[in-house]
Amino acid sequence: MNGTGAVAGTAGRIPRAAAAPGVRYARIDADILGTMRSPGLAYFAALALAALGLALGAYAFSIQWRVGLGVAGYQHPIYWGVYITNFVFWVGIAHSGTLISAVLFLFRAEWRTAVARASEAMTVFAVMTAGLFPIIHIGRPWFFYWLIPFPNERQLWVNFRSPLIWDLFAITTYLTVSMMFLYLGLIPDIAAARDRTTGWRKPVYRVLALGWDGSSRQWHHYAALYAFFAALATPLVVSVHSVVSWDFAMSIVPGWHSTILAPYFVAGAIFSGLAMVITLLIPLRTLLRLEAYITIHHFEQLAKLIIVTSLMVSYAYAVEFFIAWYSGNPYEQGVFYDRMFGQYWAFSWGMLTCNVVVPLFLFWRRIRTSLPALFIISILVNVGMWLERFVIIVTSLSHDFDPANWSGIYAPTWVEGAITLGSFSLFAFLFLVFVKNFPAVSLNEMKETADLDH
Amino acid sequence: MSLLTGTPSRSDCPTRPDPDHGLTETVGRRTFLKVLGSAGPAAAAAACSPVPPERIISSVIAPDDVVPGIATWYASVCGECPTGCGVLVKTREGRATKVEGNPQHPMNRGGLCLRGQSSLQGLYDPDRYREPLRRRDGEGRDGFAPLSWADAEAEVAGRIAGLLAAGRGDRIAVVTPALTGALDALIERWCGAMGGARRLRYETYAWEAMRSANLAVFGRATVPYHDFSRAELVVSFGADFLETWLTTVAHMRDYADARRPDAATTGARARSVHFEPRLSLTASNADEWVVIEPGSEGAIAAAMVQVIVAEGRAQVEAESELEGIAALVADWTPQSAAARSGVPAERIVELARAFSDPTAGPGRTLAAGGAVGAAGADAAEAAAAVALLNYVAGNIGATVRLAPQTMWDGAATYADMSVLTEAMRAGEIDLLLLHQVNPVHTMPAATDFAAAMDEVPLVVAMASGPNDTTARADIVLPLHTPLESWGDHVLATGLEGLMQPVMRPLYDTRHPGDVFLAVGRIALADAGPPDSEDGDAAAPLPDGEFYDALRERWRALQAARDGAAADPEPGETDPPAPQDFEDFWADAVRRGGLWWPVAPDPVIRRETTAALDFGNLAPDAAVADGGRALMLVVYPSLHFYDGRTANRPWLQEIPDPVLKATWGSWIELHPDTAAALGAGENQLVTVESDHGRVEATVLLNPHIHAGVAAMPIGQGQDHAGRYASGRGANPIALLDPLPAATSGGLRFAGTSVDLTPRELHRPVYRLQRTFDQEGRGLAQAVTQQALDAGDVPQEAEHLTLNPPHDHPEHRWGMAIDIDACTGCNACIAACYAENNVPTLGADQMRLSRTMSWLRIDRFVEPPEGSATTTGADTRFLPMLCQHCDHAPCETVCPTYATYHTADGLNAQVYNRRVGTRYCSNNCPYTVRRFNWFEPEFPAPAHLQLNPDVTVRSVGVMEKCTFCVQRIAEGRERARDEGRPMQDGDVTPACAQTCPAQAIVFGDLNDRDSRVSQLSGDIRHFHAVARANTRPAVTYLRKVLR
Repeated sequence: MNGTGAVAGTAGRIPRAAAAPGVRYARIDADILGTMRSPGLAYFAALALAALGLALGAYAFSIQWRVGLGVAGYQHPIYWGVYITNFVFWVGIAHSGTLISAVLFLFRAEWRTAVARASEAMTVFAVMTAGLFPIIHIGRPWFFYWLIPFPNERQLWVNFRSPLIWDLFAITTYLTVSMMFLYLGLIPDIAAARDRTTGWRKPVYRVLALGWDGSSRQWHHYAALYAFFAALATPLVVSVHSVVSWDFAMSIVPGWHSTILAPYFVAGAIFSGLAMVITLLIPLRTLLRLEAYITIHHFEQLAKLIIVTSLMVSYAYAVEFFIAWYSGNPYEQGVFYDRMFGQYWAFSWGMLTCNVVVPLFLFWRRIRTSLPALFIISILVNVGMWLERFVIIVTSLSHDFDPANWSGIYAPTWVEGAITLGSFSLFAFLFLVFVKNFPAVSLNEMKETADLDH
Repeated sequence: MSLLTGTPSRSDCPTRPDPDHGLTETVGRRTFLKVLGSAGPAAAAAACSPVPPERIISSVIAPDDVVPGIATWYASVCGECPTGCGVLVKTREGRATKVEGNPQHPMNRGGLCLRGQSSLQGLYDPDRYREPLRRRDGEGRDGFAPLSWADAEAEVAGRIAGLLAAGRGDRIAVVTPALTGALDALIERWCGAMGGARRLRYETYAWEAMRSANLAVFGRATVPYHDFSRAELVVSFGADFLETWLTTVAHMRDYADARRPDAATTGARARSVHFEPRLSLTASNADEWVVIEPGSEGAIAAAMVQVIVAEGRAQVEAESELEGIAALVADWTPQSAAARSGVPAERIVELARAFSDPTAGPGRTLAAGGAVGAAGADAAEAAAAVALLNYVAGNIGATVRLAPQTMWDGAATYADMSVLTEAMRAGEIDLLLLHQVNPVHTMPAATDFAAAMDEVPLVVAMASGPNDTTARADIVLPLHTPLESWGDHVLATGLEGLMQPVMRPLYDTRHPGDVFLAVGRIALADAGPPDSEDGDAAAPLPDGEFYDALRERWRALQAARDGAAADPEPGETDPPAPQDFEDFWADAVRRGGLWWPVAPDPVIRRETTAALDFGNLAPDAAVADGGRALMLVVYPSLHFYDGRTANRPWLQEIPDPVLKATWGSWIELHPDTAAALGAGENQLVTVESDHGRVEATVLLNPHIHAGVAAMPIGQGQDHAGRYASGRGANPIALLDPLPAATSGGLRFAGTSVDLTPRELHRPVYRLQRTFDQEGRGLAQAVTQQALDAGDVPQEAEHLTLNPPHDHPEHRWGMAIDIDACTGCNACIAACYAENNVPTLGADQMRLSRTMSWLRIDRFVEPPEGSATTTGADTRFLPMLCQHCDHAPCETVCPTYATYHTADGLNAQVYNRRVGTRYCSNNCPYTVRRFNWFEPEFPAPAHLQLNPDVTVRSVGVMEKCTFCVQRIAEGRERARDEGRPMQDGDVTPACAQTCPAQAIVFGDLNDRDSRVSQLSGDIRHFHAVARANTRPAVTYLRKVLR
């Protein structure tokens, strides 16, 4: 027995199996650590593709840095566009990771075990990707550090009344906590990997394992700390995206200035995050041969959560339109009318289709247990959620108070396209590197919740 | 100062009079400061050593009147259109950086239009000619190779000498603009000395119709002055008197004053009616815009005369004349005019009765006609009908005044140019001297002036910048721009403007007068002694340089003035002592000219109007020309006049006031007309008339007669510099080359065209896409009745949780009267000049990326009732940073790059910006502009940059600062003078230049300041009041009359 032996943390309860029945500890070790074996050609091809996309994005950004933001498709008065859309999108993606790993942990939803690690990793990488966009988006990115409050010789300070500063704190807090949470859960697994690895990775794992030896005392501390972090991360699920929503809600722009934006954004974030988890896990379980651990049951559970959050988002849409009408505010009404019937109608109706109509199909058990159908729906939900952010940002800015200033249609340029592609590539690159170097499914929790009858 | 090379002519160098004279005059403090440098252009004076040294550092010992950091102002004359408004030019360290209207000048009274503001871009045009050039195909720039002045002059003089020797001076032709004063006299004398060279004073818009009409009606071929300040009813027959029709800056001021609903002018709020097939800027400012059939202006005017005479409402002294007048207009009853024009007969009758009301007295109304855009085959008759209309209403001598002499009296007609063109084509011209004219562009393509130029052995173009005509010349002689020149300008008797150079010439250019003198002297010397029997033709040229000739003329002027003053007036015993000429000259230079009141010529109507054929009036369109599908309306451009100012990026990028289109020209169509043709917005169409064909971009506008296609003049040039070349279409190319029978003018109207849509789009981007404010009340109005009753809805007080800002000393604010605002764009041009606002070019306008700190929103309220003949209620709303007390931009900026100052400004710290652009998103007025790129000011345009204003770099946000540099200047001046700041110490560039005086700036903390009083006016409102931003800019409602 190696150092990753199970601990009777959940004694007294019969957990619902996280993995398929009949899987033994040794096989869990072999299967999960097996995912870290030397990768094949397909993996390297995928990695190269991601690196290429990242390079393209970096090239595009270098042009933007040198020439100016004018190379993007911004037009007066649409001063926020694809970059902020991407920012909100990636922050949203980051949300389900915490939800799955922390909130569901606290609620003892044991099915989460199989998907928690991938979700947490996704969270971290998504926040990292998201964090780049405020820098990419600003006019003088070389001065991005002026947004950070630190004592400096210029005697300058930031404006704490600005939601952008709140945002900075929210995002950095979230990144810190989610990284620590991911790392904490990884420690026993790294130790397991350390014990089985030779070569250059061994010293790395040794350092990262922090001397984990699987003693009861360590397990005790580990369990306590994990629960503590889960409790710490849970409010962040709500707060981070609330703060992101305040970037918009705290302004006076019609279409943004609304109290519903915070819960609406949180629900939307979880909604998109869950869809992204599905999008990632379906190919992952095949590639890493984890069919025995990540089962249809897990996908079905995720699909149910998608239904719930989709209904919340749909409700938010309905309330937004109702309030716009009920408020009697001509600016508000103008924006929402324009959103549906103006020049961006296709984006808005696409958003409604993907986020409101498509998830309804998950009410059919046949559909939510069909991986191809789930995969398509999850992609559509992601498209819809990207469109949602785009629609909120762009339609509101393009159709505000003064009709003389209403703009033509905002068409992103290749630079924005390449940087967006680069962000997906960066995310994919980090994720690919992660799954080959760390257990993509939590070894210790898997054992913990494995069906012990066998 | 370091970039100056080249040899300035000595006439650029003023003889400096005693500086004491600047101090003895009793002048106001501000005037004193502005004219402090009246002794002459310091930079030019400083440069008057024979061999100019090249300096790589600024003058260590500066000339006395150049204090680094302190502006020196020079009075001069604007050279951008024939009006010649008085200007004050601000120079800093020897560079002209800003042009403002001269408050003392009786025409513009401190205001200046956007073309005048852009004269700096004529001076600093990167495409200017920098040295003489000779055509050498295949070499150098555009087939030209550099040439020395000596060689150029020798070559031209050699040709003249040859002709003089052969006694064929008549084979020389000189075409100049409608020059006046010393330069005109000099060229006249030169032509005489050169064996009787032909001379034409050519202007694209020479008002031939008005001149021949006034000749026929009053016996004077002249252009009257129209006094809008005294008119209680203005009826315009297509005259764009707020755009290009004569002295527009004066009109704007007078028109606004006559209509201002202040207490001071109660009862005099003029009503304005405008007949035109399209909604021009002037039509937009009328109370009633009446859509008429194109070409029917004269019919309506004649019918009004008919009604006035028939109903016995005529107010003339000699009743006997009325019979003759009645006979002239007998054919035009209200009914027949209604049938021709589409205006209901009752409306014509009502207007005629209002126009001449014997109970109110004569001289209280004003009819404006003879417009370029309405000049068809009947132009003279239509203008005569308008003249008669003014006559029978008793307006002549009151609102319409004929000066003893005007600059237009000697101007050539288009017919004269046609004769010259034919002479050139026939090989009768051996030397053609073209001075600052562009007939290749401004004459119809069918005259083929370009081909006629090829028949002339030597064509010499004297110009400061390239155009389509200079590109075809054999020799190009580069000239000073008006800001580098001495000169004078006589608009009319009593209006003598004096032009002085405000800085040393930028390039190896010369004054036209000196070029003529130098060439003439060489030619005379080459040709040997003049033939003594030839009398006048052999009169020698004056000695010295043009500067001396100018002073000679002013010496004579002084003598004439003193002579007039020497006649003792009753009750005055001691005539003033004669002034020393140098004092007189210094005064005139300091003032920018000399002007004195002139009694209008007493006008006796001539009985003979035989020259006019009123049967010719308002010919039916189908008969007039070919009967093609649409009538073409060609009109002068507010921005480019006849195209002479096209190569100026400010004027290209500032949107057209009506269509809000930038960087191009277009063909304006009614949406129904375009739909019937199958053409859409921005689609290219082939426009074909009987005389030419051009391709133009369609812009749709519902406010135009459906049977009309309208095109602005000014664009469509091929060789006019980097900004203008290959842009838009030239509608003059479509016109009939045959001059109008009576007037000899070009028939701008009355050409019909067919349009063929092409499967091609050549977009002209608009900066405003909708003109409907959708009931949002951004630009508010109040009816005259409600205003008189004091029943104006006032803004509700909105609550706020935030405490107001503390403004212990000042709170700067602005009041903008949108009733006075004509939408003329002058403020925008002034802002560009003052604040170093960059232009980005046509492509960026697709994304509305204009950097303008100030825009003018144009809204057209949906018409009530019939859409065709009721006026469109157009509202212009100058929109700039509102400097809100509760500014939404300030709270969201993460770096405090925008914040509230103690005196109420919403300040910008460019260096602190990182460029999140949140401030712009949160601005309800969206007046902030972002630097998408590093701004470019191609040399020498960078010399225009105001050193008091930061040039912003890429990635930062910018916006209106209320001209904070001027506030600082005013504060420092007050401090230096040891007094508190007063109202009027600070005037931002936009308020300063506004011809209509619609913008008032000042301290809102000062209860007595004008801005405070206007902000509390019953008409006041705030834009987007619902956002509760508490702006410092208050608007005053438009008044619907």
